[in-house]
Amino acid sequence: MTVISTPQPALPVRDKAATRALSPMLTRLAEERATGVLVREHGVLHLAEGRVVHAESPLAPGLDVLLTAHGTLAAAAWQQAAARAPGPPHAAEHLLRSGVLPTGALELCHLDALYDAGYFALAPSSTPGRFRYDHAPRLGPLPSVPVVALERETLRRRLLLHRLWPDPAADSAPLIRADPAAGRAPGAPVTPRQRAVLDRVDGLRTATDIARNLGRQAFHTLVDVRRLTAAGWIAPAPTAAAPPAPPPYQVTTDPDIALLKRLRDALEAL
Amino acid sequence: MPGIDECLLEAMRLPGARGAALVDWTSGLALGTVGEAPGGDHETTAAEAAELARMAAEHGTFSAGGGGLPPVEDVIISNGDSYHLLRFVDTSFDSSVFLHLWLGREEGNLALARIRLGEMASRLVLG
Repeated sequence: MTVISTPQPALPVRDKAATRALSPMLTRLAEERATGVLVREHGVLHLAEGRVVHAESPLAPGLDVLLTAHGTLAAAAWQQAAARAPGPPHAAEHLLRSGVLPTGALELCHLDALYDAGYFALAPSSTPGRFRYDHAPRLGPLPSVPVVALERETLRRRLLLHRLWPDPAADSAPLIRADPAAGRAPGAPVTPRQRAVLDRVDGLRTATDIARNLGRQAFHTLVDVRRLTAAGWIAPAPTAAAPPAPPPYQVTTDPDIALLKRLRDALEAL
Repeated sequence: MPGIDECLLEAMRLPGARGAALVDWTSGLALGTVGEAPGGDHETTAAEAAELARMAAEHGTFSAGGGGLPPVEDVIISNGDSYHLLRFVDTSFDSSVFLHLWLGREEGNLALARIRLGEMASRLVLG
């Protein structure tokens, strides 16, 4: 029996030589050991003494969703902790002190949520970030992350997604089922975790919606979405809005251009 | 109840332990590290160990027969001078993490380490 499949690209290792900062402002804040809240287009980072203690993004499920989706924590228990805390970052500390969750589980979920939201908070943005000096964030009992570690991990994650499938369109668009025969690796087996994602693709949900529905980290969901896209199981839904009028001097109106682009991307990814 | 660091330090008390880490196998991120890493680099080690763990976790060949059991418990690699023991951590929330213990072959006791690492993985998330 011959099984032909495209090997999965290896997980990237951070390039130590790369010193490119994702946000010069963030680098400066880390250097001056600033405490406050950095608001960027796609998310918020809470800094205490120059370290990231909490991150939030509308594109990533928060700690509350991760903990309550599978019954790790009752929704009422989270609401109780949140009500007693001045903000979400402190709710987790309340949970830790109250002992309703094992320390390791809470630390793990906290770090998962921090790196997950941090990935989106540090995504390229079209507007400059704003920093508000604020004494609320502080180094508490839960683990914090150096700014440079979050930046490097975010770059590594971008590279990982790019290697899996270079087109980011599926990250944010509603997803539709596609014909796997058209994929880069037709017949690639769907793993149980990918199956859960695939089952929720309904033409309306985006990767973020699916992550929330599954109570799963958004970046983890993007990894499966890009793999499923590469294998041809899913595709970003074509945008419903009417295409913009072509520029007056454009002569290429070949309807196959999108297909060619996709083919080029796939070849580059090989 | 132990946190991540306490759990890794406990793993380092096993005879022959050289290094330990808690790694996410989807992203390849080390969420905690202690001791040495092969080649001196915990990040590379985490990314490579994550590849191995993902293959084991995601391919049905290595899975238990169902009945609510976690698909895979451990992955064990032995070489001329050391053992690598990867222990999947079964969390009640959605995650994809494992403990990675690097053991010197001379002093290490693989059977003991496997039992202890399994206990540590449970205590980490169950208290």
